[in-house]
Amino acid sequence: MPTRATYSPVLSGNSMSVTGSAYPNGNPDLPYNLPGVRNTDSVVALHRSTPVIHDYGCDGPAPGRFVMRWIYGSNVAARNRDPRIQVVQYNEDTFVLRQNVCVHWEAPFTYLLFGNAGALLIDAGATADARHYPLRETVDAIITRWSQARGRRKVPLTVALTSGEDVAQNQGLVQLAGRADTVIVPRPLEVMKRFYGLGATWPSGRGKIDLGDRVIAVIPTPGTHKDGVSFYDPYCDFLFTGDLIFPGKINIGNDRDFVASLERIKAFIVDHPVKSILGGHIEMMFVPGRYYPRFATYKPYERLLEIDPALIDELLEYARAVQGKDTMLIRRDFVLLNGVSPDQRTPDWPSDLPNITPPRPF
Amino acid sequence: MDRRTFLKSPAAAAAVTFSGAALMGIADAAAAAVRPAPIDFKANLPASGGFPEKWICGSPSCMDNKDPPVHVHWYNAHTAILRQNKAYSYEAPFAPLYFGNDRVLLLDEGFVQLRNDWDLRGVVDECINDWCRRNNRDPASLELLVAFSHLHADHFAATNQFADRPNTRYMGLTHEEMLGFWGMTNFPEQVVSLDLGGREVLIWGSPGHVISEFAYYDTYTQILFTGDMFYRGRCYISFWQPWFDSMKRLIDFCDTHPVTHVMGCHVEISKDGQDYAYGMTYQPDEAPVQMTVQQLRDAFAYAKTITKPGIYFTGTVFLCNQTRGTTTIDQYPYRYD
Repeated sequence: MPTRATYSPVLSGNSMSVTGSAYPNGNPDLPYNLPGVRNTDSVVALHRSTPVIHDYGCDGPAPGRFVMRWIYGSNVAARNRDPRIQVVQYNEDTFVLRQNVCVHWEAPFTYLLFGNAGALLIDAGATADARHYPLRETVDAIITRWSQARGRRKVPLTVALTSGEDVAQNQGLVQLAGRADTVIVPRPLEVMKRFYGLGATWPSGRGKIDLGDRVIAVIPTPGTHKDGVSFYDPYCDFLFTGDLIFPGKINIGNDRDFVASLERIKAFIVDHPVKSILGGHIEMMFVPGRYYPRFATYKPYERLLEIDPALIDELLEYARAVQGKDTMLIRRDFVLLNGVSPDQRTPDWPSDLPNITPPRPF
Repeated sequence: MDRRTFLKSPAAAAAVTFSGAALMGIADAAAAAVRPAPIDFKANLPASGGFPEKWICGSPSCMDNKDPPVHVHWYNAHTAILRQNKAYSYEAPFAPLYFGNDRVLLLDEGFVQLRNDWDLRGVVDECINDWCRRNNRDPASLELLVAFSHLHADHFAATNQFADRPNTRYMGLTHEEMLGFWGMTNFPEQVVSLDLGGREVLIWGSPGHVISEFAYYDTYTQILFTGDMFYRGRCYISFWQPWFDSMKRLIDFCDTHPVTHVMGCHVEISKDGQDYAYGMTYQPDEAPVQMTVQQLRDAFAYAKTITKPGIYFTGTVFLCNQTRGTTTIDQYPYRYD
């Protein structure tokens, strides 16, 4: 927690939040008027007669914060009364949707990004039935409110998946089929490659999805899934990696591709600022190296969603270590499973981590 | 046989005198007058009964599950089988409830502790009231014994729901207390006989999945309840030799006693032999809980060929020999070259 000379935690507040914000009551050493203010349009647009042209240019990441706690299921899943989809606004143009873990244990994250010419939905959840998982209804409602605030009649929607084959991320697509002004990135691998203009170069090259002054980069990242892609948002400086990088049990589909994709991500990070890597799920606990088993519907000790981009080095090191071996390897923020069952366990505990057994709730 | 008195003597034998003895005597006499003749649990054996075509088995979305927390199935007029809802706990064990003239025996519970989450106590009370109505008895006259097959939390988690229930005894949560509850001094070979009031349940040790486990044989339905050491799913064998010896004990028992069904605590396998992975909360096509003696014999014959740790499918059950910590059956479905 770096503090400056004029800031005294004793006098001005200690952080009690798990996100460890260093200045819970604001940092007095920063200027009052920061440039990120220009990335805000909620109120200044109130009396305009033409659609707002939002400024997606910013120095560093656009202002935005994850402050809320994710819903985490309940001891008795049948009695859970949390929302079926938790909607969290990161900033005016960036939303995170989480599926209730008591609707589906994968509890995937779905991201909705807006630009001046359209919106992008990254991933589509684990449940097809709209009564259980009202993805379409929720996305429609967010788009409606956003478009009203921005004075837009139409917001074309693109739906892209971090993996078309992943049943934990593609099930909601059926709800979006036939939606007006909507393009769903085709799922078969060959067609998807051509859609992104990567037919000849895959897995090299980069595609893009232009949302209007917010151009999302598409990076081929097979490895956990044959058709895996990651998305980079240069506005928030987020990297959306789906099943490739997330705080959980990473099941490797092909270890050669997995290492190559991590190298590709690492190279990408070198010349693109990344604030956080956001994966598709959380399975780790905040206890080092501990994770929830498959099908768990109650995860009160979940780790945070955000991954520091510096973790790529550790991930790459251990991905190389398991390459060519059928094995399971535990690290603080992730677990690698290569060629073994998703339920694999191991007696090998990493010597540099404290071995803490979290309490088991009933 | 060295057993505690409550195992062999009916509860009614205990004589209590109060200062208002005369009044009490009249009340007792009145109660005795209306009390119907005891049910005969020794004739026409085995008592017929049936299992449901389909148990409640969870749902694709847990929070949309509208089934009751416990599926109560009356196997016959004097035998209920309870099953926890998979949307309440993935363990969803089966729990027999045996009625006798003096006592009711509940074997196993489910993997949820508190009454406000699932009212197992209420469900059991309702079963007892139901039985008493049908048989013209006073529920207060029945003693409830809450026991479990073995010392794992999905079988005893709800125990404390019964702490303030009158006329109820339940098993402690240590090996010693479990053996003491049945008055055993020579586990696992010793067979004790529990008298529920005309209905006898035979109990002996069955270690292997865990050390502290029993087999229960109900002489009325002739169901052999094998707990978690043998059930329709993944029998996690923690200790091979004790488990093998326990299997031998079951086979020997079947050689000398009539057994209608062999019944375990869980189902983790589909009708066509597919494994439902550990933790699943929806098993739409699950196999029946009851097994035949032949299936038990086949599994034992298969077990005789097993010399190494690993997972073996006998055609009925998976024998997971000392693999609990490191291996399961599923593979990652998205592997590619």
